[in-house]
Amino acid sequence: MTTSDDAVAVLGVETPPVARQGSRWRLALPVGLLAVPMLAFLTYFFFYPAIRLLFSSILTQNSLGIIGRPFTLAHYARLIDVELYARVLWTTLRISAITSVLATVLAYPVALVMVKSRPIVTRSITLIVIAPLIVSVVVRGYGWQLVLQNGPKGMLNWILMTLHIVNEPLSILYTETAVVIGSLHVFFPMMVLPLASALGKIDPNLEDAARTLGAPWWKVFLRVTLPLSMPGFVAGFTLVFSLTAGSFVIPAILGGASAVMLGNLIEQQIFVVYDWPFGAAIAVVLVGLVLAVNGVSMWLLEGRRLRRAD
Amino acid sequence: MDERFSGFGAFILYTITAGMMIFILAPLLLVMAASVSDTYFVTFPPQGFTLKWYAKVLQDRDFLEAMRLSILLALGTTVGSLLFGVPAAFALVRGNFFGLAAIKGFLLSPLIFPALVTGLALLQILTKLGSQDARVNLLIGHIVVTSPYVIRTVVTSLQLVDENLEDAARTLGASRLLTFWRVTLPQIASGVAAGGLFAFMVSFDNYPVTMWLANSEYSPVPLVLMRQLVNVFDPSVPAMSTIIILMAMVGVLLLEKLVGLRRALAA
Repeated sequence: MTTSDDAVAVLGVETPPVARQGSRWRLALPVGLLAVPMLAFLTYFFFYPAIRLLFSSILTQNSLGIIGRPFTLAHYARLIDVELYARVLWTTLRISAITSVLATVLAYPVALVMVKSRPIVTRSITLIVIAPLIVSVVVRGYGWQLVLQNGPKGMLNWILMTLHIVNEPLSILYTETAVVIGSLHVFFPMMVLPLASALGKIDPNLEDAARTLGAPWWKVFLRVTLPLSMPGFVAGFTLVFSLTAGSFVIPAILGGASAVMLGNLIEQQIFVVYDWPFGAAIAVVLVGLVLAVNGVSMWLLEGRRLRRAD
Repeated sequence: MDERFSGFGAFILYTITAGMMIFILAPLLLVMAASVSDTYFVTFPPQGFTLKWYAKVLQDRDFLEAMRLSILLALGTTVGSLLFGVPAAFALVRGNFFGLAAIKGFLLSPLIFPALVTGLALLQILTKLGSQDARVNLLIGHIVVTSPYVIRTVVTSLQLVDENLEDAARTLGASRLLTFWRVTLPQIASGVAAGGLFAFMVSFDNYPVTMWLANSEYSPVPLVLMRQLVNVFDPSVPAMSTIIILMAMVGVLLLEKLVGLRRALAA
């Protein structure tokens, strides 16, 4: 991210029109200015508030609720030192990691079938994968609440007990497992789509060549398909991890008290405890986590450290 | 090209894929089935058939108020993010200035930033400014999170525009504005429409920004639904949810018609 003051300054120094050919150069000067309203809006309502939040995470709140100096890192220390809060951080990391790994393992077959099947199959799978993306997360969380309902009246328990797979109803709702299941459902498309797009770019001749040369299907997959689809995997993993780490609704609906995540802790600190600096500090940690994951992923993708299919 | 998969590998692939399709659809179908259940509590398996929960929901003033607010908010957000986003996309595709990549990164950064934190940061600044009207605050927050979607879809469709057609129009004496209106816009219309539809749907479903900026007087649909989940146990909650699911399906089909789903969501 650049500061947008830089950005605005930069807009003034247009490259000389000679760089463009034909009559198009006449557009060169004003066209960059079209971004100014959007830049100004985001600077004021996104970038500046984010910086302010970062700032308030190192300030002190007095007993009257007024936030000011002295500067302190105590709020960050508290997040790590107090066992209750440290556990929330670990829960968040664990749930995000498990969800991303599961999403990868399960999305791979779906993406493969999606890319390499007849058009009608491809279209149906695409529709089923994408459609829920547009349904409110609250509704999807509620759906899982109904499916996982503890006691014999929940759908999953009813099915398992009717088929005599289990004799006692399982208690999945309000555990970390329920949050992982819900997050997987909500963010699964974010894994399938980049994977499918990476797989779609692989030249089928490469796989054919490997096959012709006598490689069995699993070897073709491991040596040709998998390495060439790495960019899609990295992009998808990053998305699923970041989105899960920053979620609020799914842990609130499915996790209850036993799977509180960073987002829920922030909400509680702001709306219940009114501890703005501590809430801000947790938010900064969450942002740091997400930016770190995105940074690593960008480093992997843009440095061309991965072989690309295209 | 199904012959690509054969034997045991194919069996595993198709089994997992089919399993995932069930996994994706099951909770949504269950919600829809529960909404017509003739029982006073949500149970499985649903029993009987009744539309009385829909009748109840459609008379629920809180829900109808929330629906009205959410639709107006989503419409406002769509207009706002198009007004800011389309020109910005134009600058990104046609501009040729130093720092363009950095500016593009900045404009799209709300996409990777946790929305929960975007909302919290905005709440802090809006409180400081003394902005009390929740409707205005929600509109600002929603434009922040939806405009990157608009920029992304419009940038994609602008990249496909044939600039020679614009040159031709200009050579024939059309003004820049007329060229944009009569030559460029028709070519990017589906992209702009998809971006707008996206903005509408993202705004309508948004929770992480909305939860900070709404108040008891102005609560959009997702917040009202969340409150109902905790307090109400009859099938009116699944009925509300089904209405939301059906609205989303209409959105998906429109999007598929406009640009094709894969293209709308990829990149």
